[in-house]
Amino acid sequence: MSTESLTYYYPPVFNAPGTHSPPTNLSAGFDSFVQRDDGINEHLDALLDTLQAHEERLLQVVEDGDGKLEDVRTKADIITWRGMMTKILTAPFDIFNEFEMNATRYQGTIFIEENHAARAARRTAQNKQPPPRGGVPQEMMQYWGYKFEAISTLPNSWSECSREEIEARDTRTVNNNAQYCSIVRTGMGARSLIIAGEVDAVLGEKPDSPNDPIPWIELKTTAELTGHPREAVKFERKLLNYWAQSFLLAVPTIMIGFRTPDGFLSRIQEMPTHKIPTMVRQGSRTWDGNVCINVASAFLEQLAQAINEDGGVYRIRRKQGEKLIEIFEVGD
Amino acid sequence: MGVPALFRWLSKKYPKIISPVIEELPEEIDNGNGTKTKIPIDSRKPNPNGEEMDNLYLDMNGIVHPCSHPEDRPPPASEEEMMIAVFEYTDRVVNMVRPRKLLMIAVDGVAPRAKMNQQRSRRFRSAQEAAEKDDAAAEYHAMMQAKGVSDPTDDGEKPKKTWDSNSITPGTPFMDLLAASLRYWVSYKLSTDPAWEKLKVIISDATVPGEGEHKIMNFVRSQRSSPTHDPNTRHVIYGLDADLIMLGIATHEPHFRVLREDVFANDTKPGHCRKCNQPGHMADSCRGAAKPKPGEEVIEKPLKPFIWLHVSVLREYLAVEMSVPNQPFRFDLERALDDWVFMCFFVGNDFLPHLPSLDIREDGIDTLIAIWRDNIPVMGGYVTKDGHVDLARAQVILEGLARQEDAIFKRRRETEVRKDAAQKRREEQQSRRDSSKRQRVSNDASGFDETMIRRGPKGGIIRGEQAPDMNALPTFSPGQAQTRSDPRFAGQAGLTHADIVGNANKANKSAAAALKEQLLNSKRPADNQKAELESLFAGTGGNGQAGSGSALGKRTRDMIDDAADDASTAPSTPGRNTPNKEIADPMSKGTSGALGGNSKDTQDAMPEDTVKLWEDGYQGRYYEQKFHVSASDVEFRHKVARAYVEGLAWVLLYYFQGCPSWTWYYPYHYAPFAADFVDMASQVVTFDKGKPFRPYEQLMGVMPSLSNHTIPSVFHPLMTEDDSPIIEFYPTDFEVDLNGKKFAWQGVALLPFIDEKRLLDAMATKYPMLSADEVRRNAFGKEALIFSTKHPLYDEVATNFYSKKATASPKFKLNSRVSEGLAGKVEKEEGFVPNSELAFPLPRSDGQEQYTGLEQCESVTVAYWMPVIPGIHKSMLLPGVVFAEAQLDYQDVQQTREMARKSGR
Ligand SMILES: [Mg+2]
Repeated sequence: MSTESLTYYYPPVFNAPGTHSPPTNLSAGFDSFVQRDDGINEHLDALLDTLQAHEERLLQVVEDGDGKLEDVRTKADIITWRGMMTKILTAPFDIFNEFEMNATRYQGTIFIEENHAARAARRTAQNKQPPPRGGVPQEMMQYWGYKFEAISTLPNSWSECSREEIEARDTRTVNNNAQYCSIVRTGMGARSLIIAGEVDAVLGEKPDSPNDPIPWIELKTTAELTGHPREAVKFERKLLNYWAQSFLLAVPTIMIGFRTPDGFLSRIQEMPTHKIPTMVRQGSRTWDGNVCINVASAFLEQLAQAINEDGGVYRIRRKQGEKLIEIFEVGD
Repeated sequence: MGVPALFRWLSKKYPKIISPVIEELPEEIDNGNGTKTKIPIDSRKPNPNGEEMDNLYLDMNGIVHPCSHPEDRPPPASEEEMMIAVFEYTDRVVNMVRPRKLLMIAVDGVAPRAKMNQQRSRRFRSAQEAAEKDDAAAEYHAMMQAKGVSDPTDDGEKPKKTWDSNSITPGTPFMDLLAASLRYWVSYKLSTDPAWEKLKVIISDATVPGEGEHKIMNFVRSQRSSPTHDPNTRHVIYGLDADLIMLGIATHEPHFRVLREDVFANDTKPGHCRKCNQPGHMADSCRGAAKPKPGEEVIEKPLKPFIWLHVSVLREYLAVEMSVPNQPFRFDLERALDDWVFMCFFVGNDFLPHLPSLDIREDGIDTLIAIWRDNIPVMGGYVTKDGHVDLARAQVILEGLARQEDAIFKRRRETEVRKDAAQKRREEQQSRRDSSKRQRVSNDASGFDETMIRRGPKGGIIRGEQAPDMNALPTFSPGQAQTRSDPRFAGQAGLTHADIVGNANKANKSAAAALKEQLLNSKRPADNQKAELESLFAGTGGNGQAGSGSALGKRTRDMIDDAADDASTAPSTPGRNTPNKEIADPMSKGTSGALGGNSKDTQDAMPEDTVKLWEDGYQGRYYEQKFHVSASDVEFRHKVARAYVEGLAWVLLYYFQGCPSWTWYYPYHYAPFAADFVDMASQVVTFDKGKPFRPYEQLMGVMPSLSNHTIPSVFHPLMTEDDSPIIEFYPTDFEVDLNGKKFAWQGVALLPFIDEKRLLDAMATKYPMLSADEVRRNAFGKEALIFSTKHPLYDEVATNFYSKKATASPKFKLNSRVSEGLAGKVEKEEGFVPNSELAFPLPRSDGQEQYTGLEQCESVTVAYWMPVIPGIHKSMLLPGVVFAEAQLDYQDVQQTREMARKSGR
């Protein structure tokens, strides 16, 4: 986790009225891109490391005289990665969604992590599939996302960066280093949760006081809509995922970079997270945020009742196309 | 920065940047017993303009000047009355804008040395003019008394001396009173007006160095550098300078508006005096309003409406105008905007004389933009970057101008010759008509020889055989002569700003077409006013007729515009009133001596232009006559150009980063030619930051001895005694070089430059003799932050400064969530006691009951420190900015594009 760093959002283009920016090639620099292990290790040990680091930070704040000692200990009914909760939250409407997770209880708290064996198997199967004919390889599509992040972020706040630093973003080597990990204490139904996850960037600044909300911003790239109704529906389904991820970590803004089929950034759009469910309700109504939250709350309640003592490993599984999430014990 | 005609030029070229302010006015209820009750506006209600504003900045000198020596009303009787007028005007502006977060009141403090030369010239002329006016009034008074004529409006007292507007300079007793009054007023409002509970008020009074509008700029930049700044903050700046819109551009905040009075709007009925609103005389012969007879209603003048100038819309225009097809590097609107501002500087600014070949009235800015567009591929990038000039690229621009320079001068000459010929022809025709119709008015009450002065065919006064060229009357002062109420404008009653620039926001047609239509429509009232006006003229001693509407059309428009421009430059611009005397003041018969060239027969007295820019060899003649150096001394020309380059660099930094040097100044009265700029790329420009002058040093640097009442008496001998070591800094007589222009105010006042060391050395001997109060007034002050005890900030400040827990640390950083967006540090204000009494700082005058002391003041005052910008301020937009909807439609864009392609060449 030592490489994690807070980055600052600064858009690659401003669509000021009267101006037209030429599209940015998101494929530029692909050759020099070195793919590392994708993202952070979402194992339990990493989650615990993260929590410990978080507690130490909080302790420091308390020592500096701001904050209360009882808030330092991260206690909750359930502690998990944001990725796990996203899958659960989107389950009612995402028919392609399948997952296998492991859960265990320790000192009264349930920890959930992905079943890595299942994930690795799925990956291998996916990578064996050839890209659709004439289509773009999977790695390139992924690169576009990283490139978009690279041209949308700064290593320091805008006022602390030099103009040269800001303008050099276009040619900066793209990497997929581990990003800043944010930890959020929240609640769903009657259950308290601690969710940890990577955040892309901050819009403005991290406030000095831990009590003030952080203006995180989530960066996404997606294919430009050409006006076909089918695409609008597809985009709405994508929004479900965007919304769930940001909602869980209390990220207030999502910035979407629209790209052409061959990877040119055509425009950007900033969206307030809380407005997305309303947009969908006024659109094709492919999903409903309230239903998602209710189902997830009910699930967590079930889980807490199923895993009612420390020890033992449980499996949480949803198979593709099935409407149910199974919880069963797999041993200790 | 007062660039004459800039405002008109901008609003004509970019018509959609203007829209009217929708203002809610307090209602008056008749109490039935002859009294009225004013119901104050509840400005907590939504802004009637359909959009809420966050921050309002007041360039306060733009309020203090018109309130203390108004041009359209009788002057206030006392300084107390001036302060009340300032309160009321400010209150009106605040109610109009309804800022929800912050109000900043910035008064000019000591200015950078680069500005002082202009200030000095203004003040010398202003004092001289006031003295002349007083002499004339006294003479008139004496004459009337001798004749035994009693003026019904005259109470028999001697005329009051004109209030010396030079008092509006940092360090004077007047400014001290103003500072105390503003703090009182703000505290009073915070304690009594519920709409102010959420407002934070920053007062930067004259004790804080820097020009008002630039202190505002520093503030905006400092807030932008704070990551907690809301990029969608709605800013409004009030002020009179037309270049506030350029400052607005320079902030790179897209939600920025400039607010100002619609100087084009009608405010007086035709045939009525614009000062006292009474019929029968004009402002310049106004002796004050007659007291209304019992039963007679007091005629109140309608308030002048205000207008918005939308920086966001100007950004749209410039986005089109400044983008060059196929430019070889990425278009960056923010950088292009900076270049645009830079090019505007060439045409005029307060710190440098403009280049001889560039004149705003000849669309000098367009000339430069065309050169800039042509050379974008050659330059390979923008000319400026974050307030720094790329001198190699600037050289390209100046070379482009140099190639046109001869032609520009020749063309200018041809136009003048053509105009003069046309004018002569008109005069001849008129004088033929006049001689057959002329009727003398005998027993003229005002007792002046009317053969000397008569109304011209277009309503202007003709002295001798010369009529002032109506097209060249940019000096027409709105203060003394009357604009729309003036009989000369009889055919044009009802013109407003929209009439002049075309109401582009309503009708989608070109400004020119709209204007034409307006003028055609406005001919109607001319007929029925003609008779009235003729009798009016007979009464005032003139014998002309009102001009007929259509022929007057264009010229009237120009005059109104120019009058407005004049108001838009610094209100103290000297010489402003002077040419007007030729027109509207039948009393003054050549009173002006030292100002030269503008006394009686304007054009007769005009010295012959011996430089003759339109004839070969003009460079040599210019340097010989203006700089007194040999025509062959080419190196000297380069030296002047190098100083000018420093000046350009200084001005650009001043606008984009804040004052780069307090001590630098351009050491000549004249600018070089574009052709004199050579090898700019090798010039290295650096500035020594230096320190601002102390208030008394600045006063001694800008005041004439006529205004020595503004300065502690120990310094007076330095200005007046023959043995003063610096006596030559204070000439009582000085030359004004018209430099090819027609009127004194356009000319160059040839005052000696102040030698800083000699000035300070001479003053040093007097400092020990100052009184304690005088020493206090010479000190620098801090910005004050004042807010209601109901504001969430109060708890924080109370805990830090006034509780038992209060720490020794006198400063703390504001939490921008609590301060609702304001970043910076605050410090305990010495001597401030919360919840104590609020005293009324002025002597109680009978006239007003509204402003009083308060038993308990419910506001808090702390010292405020802006955040320090790390590095430099970058000309960039901020993340999270959401733009307003585009205001230009397809046609506007096409027109602007077409215009950019064609204009300036
Ligand atoms: Mg000013």
